Amino acid sequence: MKIDCTIDGKTLTLSLNSNKPLSLILRENIGIDNINHCTGKMCGLCTVLLDGKAVLSCLVPAFELNGKEVITFDSFQRTRAMKDIEKAYEMVGAFPCTDCYSSRTMIFESLVNEGITDKAEILKQLSLVRCHCMVPDDEVEIVHKAIDLRRKRNVRRSQFS
Amino acid sequence: MFAALSSPNIHTPRNMQEYSSIILHYPSSSFWAGGTYIMSRPDAYPSNSLNQEIIYLGGIEELHRFQRNDRFAEFGSMVTLDEIISTGKTVLPKVLIDNIENIGSRLITRRATIGGALASKDVITSFPGTLIVLDANVEVKFIKKKRLHSKWMQLTRLLDRNGHLVLPAQGMISRVRIAFTDKNYQNFSSVGSFMTKGDDAVAVAFATTLNQDLLLNPTIAFTYPKLGILYSRDVDNVLSSLRFPLDDKEYKSLEMILFTFIDSTFQNISELQRARTKGILRNIIDDLNEKALTVPQSEGS
Repeated sequence: MKIDCTIDGKTLTLSLNSNKPLSLILRENIGIDNINHCTGKMCGLCTVLLDGKAVLSCLVPAFELNGKEVITFDSFQRTRAMKDIEKAYEMVGAFPCTDCYSSRTMIFESLVNEGITDKAEILKQLSLVRCHCMVPDDEVEIVHKAIDLRRKRNVRRSQFS
Repeated sequence: MFAALSSPNIHTPRNMQEYSSIILHYPSSSFWAGGTYIMSRPDAYPSNSLNQEIIYLGGIEELHRFQRNDRFAEFGSMVTLDEIISTGKTVLPKVLIDNIENIGSRLITRRATIGGALASKDVITSFPGTLIVLDANVEVKFIKKKRLHSKWMQLTRLLDRNGHLVLPAQGMISRVRIAFTDKNYQNFSSVGSFMTKGDDAVAVAFATTLNQDLLLNPTIAFTYPKLGILYSRDVDNVLSSLRFPLDDKEYKSLEMILFTFIDSTFQNISELQRARTKGILRNIIDDLNEKALTVPQSEGS
C-alpha cells in the first residue's frame, strides 16, 4: 500500500504493509531508534505528535497516516517550542529520565499546545507514562510554566511583526 | 522486517451506500474502528490471523454524528470516548462520565470509539457494562437477503449467557442511544487495569433511585476483562427487595447471593478479582447505608 505523509517535515511516499504500526515504520523505514515498539502494551514510550496531538504510535496503523503530519522527538528537539519546555524543566528544577524524556516531552508539548491547565487533566494525560522519575506536582508546574513561556513568546512575536 | 507478509486490503467507505456495497462484495471483512483493541493484541503485526479485507469505518461521516434532545443522547459508533466527554459532560449520566474518565489517558480515549468498545470480541473495557446499566439502545446494521437492514435493540438483548455482546453475522453497531437518567445514586468503581492486567481487574457500574430506605429500579453490572459482563434482572430484583440500612448479617447474605450469580456465570474468576468485587460491593452498600441514614436537609432544618 502506498502512503503519502509528512514525517518530521519531510513529505514522503512510503510503500508499506497497510496495518504496520507507526512505531515500527519510524524504527524500520525511517530509522528513528529512540521510539519504543511495545506491540500495543501502552507503555507510553512511543508517543509522537500526529497532526499536533500526542498519540501512541504503536496504536496507529499505516493506512491512517495518509495525508497526516507526524512529528517525532528527533525533529521536535530542534524547534523553538522545545526551548519553552526545556526552560520550564530548568525553572521547576525537574527533568524526566533518559528513558521517558522524549515521550514525556511530547506529551508536555501536546498539553501546552492545547493550553490545558487543569491539574487532573494534566496528570491523567501523563499517567500513561509509567516511569516514576517525576513528581506529579512538578509535572503540573512544568506545564503551567511552559504555557506562560509560550504565551510570552507569542506576544513578543506579534509585537515585532 | 516483515515485508514479505501480504498487506491487507483497506476499504474506506465514505457513506453507508458504499459500505453496503463493500460488505456485499466482501462478506467476511473485518471492521476497523479506532484500532485500539486490534493494535494492542500481541499478534497485531505481523499477523497471519488478521483478515485480508478490512473495512475502515472512520471515513463514514454518519458514524461521527452526535445529537441530543431532552430525553436522550445519540452517538454515532465512531464518536470517540474523548468526544463524548467533551460534548456531553454536563448532561450525560455521572456513571458514564466516571467510567470514561477511569479508562485512562486522553491519548487512548482520543482514539477509542464507542462502537469499537462495544463490538470488540473480548471484553476490553468496562464501558459495555456501564451502557447496560444505563439501558442503552444500539442500532445494528446487518445484511439480509443482500440488502442492508437496520434495527434498534436494547444492549442487554445482545448479551449472551457467557457475558459477551454478540452481534448478528456481519452486523455493525452504527448508533448508540443513551437515555438521560434521573436515578439519584450512580456509582462506577473499577480496580486494576483492564489494559495491562486484565486477569485481576474488575469494574462495577450501579445506578438506582434511593427513596428513603428502598432502591427503585436498581441496575448493576459486573465486568471482568477477558471473562465477560454479568448483568441479570434477578440480581436487580434481589437489590430492589432490600431495605436500607443493611446490617452485617444482611450484607453477608446479599454478598453470598451475588457471588452465587457471579460463580454460575464465570467459573474462573481469580481470588484477587473476588476480593476486589467484595471491596467494591462493601463500598457501595456503606455509601447507601450512609445516605439512607442521612436526614435530607429540607427535613432536618
